[in-house]
Amino acid sequence: MLFPTLAFGIFFLFVYFTAWSLDRENGRRKIFLLLASWFFYAQWDWRFVGLLIASAILNWGVAALIASSDSPGRRKWLVALGVTINLIILGVFKYYGFFVEQAVALLNQFGWERDAPLLQIVLPVGISFFTFQGISYVVDVHRGKTPPARSLVDVMLLMSFFPHLVAGPIVRASDLLPQFDRVPRLTREMAAHGLLLIAWGLFKKTVIASELAVRLVDPVFFDPSAYGALDIAAATYGYAVQIYCDFSAYSDMAIGLAALLGYSFPRNFDQPYRAGSMQQFWRRWHISLSSWLRDYLYVPLGGGRKGLVSSCINIMITMLLGGLWHGAAWTFIAWGALHGAVQAVERVWRHFREGKAGLPHWLGVIVTFHIVCLGWILFRAESFDLAMQMLEGLTRMAPVMVLTPFLLALIVGGIAMHWLPPRAVEGLAVRVREAPAITMGVLVGIMILLVEAMRPEGVAPFIYFQF
Amino acid sequence: MDPNEPKDPDEPAPFPTGEHDPFPPRGQELAPGSPSAPHPEPDPAPDERNDWIQSADAHDLPTREPRLKILGRYAFPPEPPLDEEGEAARDRRWTSRTIVFAGLFLLVFNSVSIQSWARQQEPGWVTTTVQQLADVWTGQISQLGADQPRQGVRDAYETARDQRFRGQPDAPPPT
Repeated sequence: MLFPTLAFGIFFLFVYFTAWSLDRENGRRKIFLLLASWFFYAQWDWRFVGLLIASAILNWGVAALIASSDSPGRRKWLVALGVTINLIILGVFKYYGFFVEQAVALLNQFGWERDAPLLQIVLPVGISFFTFQGISYVVDVHRGKTPPARSLVDVMLLMSFFPHLVAGPIVRASDLLPQFDRVPRLTREMAAHGLLLIAWGLFKKTVIASELAVRLVDPVFFDPSAYGALDIAAATYGYAVQIYCDFSAYSDMAIGLAALLGYSFPRNFDQPYRAGSMQQFWRRWHISLSSWLRDYLYVPLGGGRKGLVSSCINIMITMLLGGLWHGAAWTFIAWGALHGAVQAVERVWRHFREGKAGLPHWLGVIVTFHIVCLGWILFRAESFDLAMQMLEGLTRMAPVMVLTPFLLALIVGGIAMHWLPPRAVEGLAVRVREAPAITMGVLVGIMILLVEAMRPEGVAPFIYFQF
Repeated sequence: MDPNEPKDPDEPAPFPTGEHDPFPPRGQELAPGSPSAPHPEPDPAPDERNDWIQSADAHDLPTREPRLKILGRYAFPPEPPLDEEGEAARDRRWTSRTIVFAGLFLLVFNSVSIQSWARQQEPGWVTTTVQQLADVWTGQISQLGADQPRQGVRDAYETARDQRFRGQPDAPPPT
């Protein structure tokens, strides 16, 4: 059940009105939201609802044991156990096939040929997100950053809450558990913000991302050798816009849906393509993941506390694992390596040029954007061969075949939207919150009608569902 | 009731009209101990049972205050200011109404989406029923021309989308 479908709209209307009819019964309200979330998840594969429940019980139990233990040593063992089990779950479902294939290839090189115990394991949607949430909950309880949840239902709802379940943002326990303690308050501003974010997300996903994917990016990345430099460059820029509009649309809609139910999610994107450096880019792109990697991987590794070399090694490890998190393929690892290497170079540059003038900001933005686009080629290509064909094609002169004025306008518009006033949607929400309900309803209706009139038939799944 | 309408002389006055008005306008009340206060009188006999409250008309009150406010002061106690819970309930009502209005708007102007969604579903009792209802609804609505705005936007959008650069061959079909 995808957000931009009528089926989801009907589902959400039912959830919305039922949840608010239980506004005096917080316990029942949470149980209802939990059941609704499991129903939502079961639309993909009902068998994995059990995995979701088991994962929540595991994290709840480990956190409760940590909280009740007085021995620091025992607490450390428990947190290590919790993190390890979460990683095993993730590893089995997501990386088993990849690592077995690599191991077999390695053994073959040494002349040791064996039949690989390959299994066809279906990847549960959203497993990377809910296992990371589980890990953050256990670690935060161990660190004392968040108290253990009051009940198992709270942990289950934290991990299963349908707006963020399948593609984030990665909402931490410290963000959401306190909101579960009582029936949330829905303000007009929050509701207006939520409705506008949903409409804006629908536009970005179903119009911009879908059109770019179907008419430009997919054909060119499928067979780069058939296209010339202009089409390939357009497809690369187009993918940069597509993945931003696709993923940020999901986050916007998730934040908006949660807001209509009275819950606040953290921001996940902040105009990433106006970043002047790769470090800034990661403060603006998929913020919930980058901050997760910082707090639970980079800082425990030592962060930047042990000097420049250690800092560069740590950022490299962090970004490599960040790449692997996105998918079990060497192209993703190469993508992470590129981002890690550029950030390491930036650190060295800053270290040796401290106090001296750096690049002008506008030049930094252009350079960063093009490095990010180079990374997107690795990210999008099915294999290294296709990625190399894309790069080679950038020097091949040939007539323009798939790029049209309309697609060019979408690319330019998708990049230009990064220079809209920051927090533009929030600002608009403040302005319209005083409008009568009928005015606001018609406004939302017109926005959705425009999207519906423009969108292509059907809708492709969100890119981040595969992660 | 029109306050200027001539009244039946036999009808009891809606309010006592004597010197000591039991409902003096605000600001003209006199403290019992003040020098200008009238001498205390023995307690009057209890009012006869009558229907003076039912016939009360705030328009007759000699006051410059807003009449509705006076009516509220005496007949209907004003609501206390909304507490946090009351404000939250009001905001929720606003949100629900907004969603309902948006839904109704789309039901009228975007009925084609329901029709096409119903046609994409696997056949079954529910989907077939929804499809038949959607077909009838869309047909009726289109007779009123409510589908024209969507169609107009769609036509303009497709024209813009299919534009090509000068000399560019026709686009291959989308994948």
